[in-house]
Amino acid sequence: MNDMRLTERSVDMSEVKINARQVQVFYGDTHAIKDVDVDIEDKTVTAFIGPSGCGKSTFLRCLNRMNDTIDVARVEGDIHLDGEDIYDAKVDPVQLRAKVGMVFQKPNPFPKSIYDNVAYGPKIHGLARGKAELDEIVEKALRRGAIWDEVKDRLQEPGTGLSGGQQQRLCIARAVATEPEVLLMDEPCSALDPIATAQVEELIDELRQNYSVVIVTHSMQQAARVSQKTAFFHLGYLVEYGETGQIFTNPQDKRTESYITGRIG
Amino acid sequence: MSDISAADDLPEAGPKKKTSLLAQDTHTKKRNAAEARFKMYGLIAVSLGLLALVLLVTSILSNGLSAFQQTYVVLQVELPEETLDKEGNRNRDEMARVSTFGYSPLIAAAMEAKVAELGIEIEGLANPGDIVSKEAPAQLRNFVLANPEAVGSTVEFEFLANGRIDGYMKDRVTRATAELDKNVTPAQLDLTDQLEEAGVLNKGFNWAFITAPDASGQRPEAAGLGVAIIGSFYMMLVVLILALPIGVAASIYLEEFAPKNRWTDLIEVNIANLAAVPSIVFGILGLAIFINFAGLPQSAPIVGGLVLTLMTLPTIIIATRASLKAVPPSIREAALGVGASKMQTVFHHVLPLAAPGILTGTIIGLAQALGETAPLLLIGMVAFVREFPAGPPEGFFDPASALPVQVYNWTQRSDPAFVERASGAIIVLLVFLVIMNAIAIMLRRRFERRW
Repeated sequence: MNDMRLTERSVDMSEVKINARQVQVFYGDTHAIKDVDVDIEDKTVTAFIGPSGCGKSTFLRCLNRMNDTIDVARVEGDIHLDGEDIYDAKVDPVQLRAKVGMVFQKPNPFPKSIYDNVAYGPKIHGLARGKAELDEIVEKALRRGAIWDEVKDRLQEPGTGLSGGQQQRLCIARAVATEPEVLLMDEPCSALDPIATAQVEELIDELRQNYSVVIVTHSMQQAARVSQKTAFFHLGYLVEYGETGQIFTNPQDKRTESYITGRIG
Repeated sequence: MSDISAADDLPEAGPKKKTSLLAQDTHTKKRNAAEARFKMYGLIAVSLGLLALVLLVTSILSNGLSAFQQTYVVLQVELPEETLDKEGNRNRDEMARVSTFGYSPLIAAAMEAKVAELGIEIEGLANPGDIVSKEAPAQLRNFVLANPEAVGSTVEFEFLANGRIDGYMKDRVTRATAELDKNVTPAQLDLTDQLEEAGVLNKGFNWAFITAPDASGQRPEAAGLGVAIIGSFYMMLVVLILALPIGVAASIYLEEFAPKNRWTDLIEVNIANLAAVPSIVFGILGLAIFINFAGLPQSAPIVGGLVLTLMTLPTIIIATRASLKAVPPSIREAALGVGASKMQTVFHHVLPLAAPGILTGTIIGLAQALGETAPLLLIGMVAFVREFPAGPPEGFFDPASALPVQVYNWTQRSDPAFVERASGAIIVLLVFLVIMNAIAIMLRRRFERRW
């Protein structure tokens, strides 16, 4: 970990993209997320760290209502995207997910061609008029996913035939193809080797220019490398949230300090 | 970590004995023996199954293959005007008054003429015309009514030989059995031999077995599967058209959309139960609902198809749900994650992946329905049907038979020639099943090979 770089990193003061207040999540009788308040800023990489089962993935999935697909899950509290309550009865989660894209822990390309994988989102959201425009969107997305050069000659080959790292970058390309405003990443590098991880991290840093990126990670080094803001979750509570440099060098909470120094987790 | 005090309680281990990798110790030997035994049990089980299959196929083939061969008699029949068209005006309606009884003497005469022409003399030969099938007068009459201008001339016909004569040509009937049989005499068998030598009597492929309708118990040589094949085909159409969409729609709803509560649990249990209901119960249900209540005609493929649909639905639903469940949830998440709606997720991603399983389930269900007999007996498909049903869709409401029912029907008849016919029908049924399964495998391969 390069601590020197951490402290030097400047953090732009940017506006709040997602604002969550008093969020509670229940899985049946289990109270998985307790009283979480957090402000996620625009054009910033926010990392959620914490030991396994602390609720960071659960909270991430609240931000695009992926928890809706789990029957027993129940979300309380307020989560606002650009000031609009995403849990309002009038909100269609499908529309929300077009704005808040997601990349999953395990690369999960569709069993279709590379082209179709990326083109699927724009197609169903009607973002392209005609084939030429769609081609353009696909190329742009694949370039942003830093995978264009590797796949440009075999766009019609199945996405499932790529290597793990390529698949994950394809999934990122697929997520950015729909032009989301927020990109949620649930441990995107956990299945990747160090080289692929470095590529994805570089990519995340580039994505920050356009999106608000929220990344869940088990690796504190990764959080330190890619994020500007870090939130530490423990047992369903948001223990500490602040600038990454400050969390890693000067944590305010005892638990954060113990986790970062390797005493818990 | 175990502490030291626990280790004290253990028996003295002593220094570990040095063992050679080249010699098996007793434990390994035991395990290997168990493995070898298990392999042998499996091999025995598989061989027993194969043996049963081979026995079944040989017995059916040895009994039934001869049904595809048929003995024909070629005769030149004179069509005299004075008996067939008394008025001499070739009016079809008036000619139709002459029944088949009017035609049989013509065939007998033609046969006697043939015997005389060939100079065959056999002691005690009576009624040489009897070696021609009783179906022949009807064939002759149909020809004359269709071609009235032929009356007055002599026409060559290829008639079916009588079932006994056909049996003699296939070594089923011998002179010893003919002695005891009032339908055939040894002298007629002698005549058969001589006619065969003269080329009047010959064997050929029996297309009529596949295309002709059933015939009465006295004329097995004329009995065919035409109506049964059409009936079965119509029923399969009905089943496919109804059971596939209903079954797939029900499964998709239950698997992907339905809330998980007490009602859906109840439905789930009942679908599983329905799959285990004896098929004859579905027949009673069909009789009560489709025939007595809804007033649909008896013996009709539509009713058979509806009953078989009810029977097949649970199979299709269970197979479809299983293949939907087998689609990894990550695919659903991926689709939802890019903002697809639930329906788009299911139809764009889940269903294509589940398609091979659904197809296999459907075709297994269809194959099961094709071979089903019991429910059809109850809705009147066991009736003796000689009229071909019309083309679809009207034909769905015409009386028809079905392949398995035809097999059942023929095994009930007393004439031994029907044993051959029934086995032949089983061969046809099996061929249909093999074709369906082959299609299932082909479709599966095709869908799976894409990725």
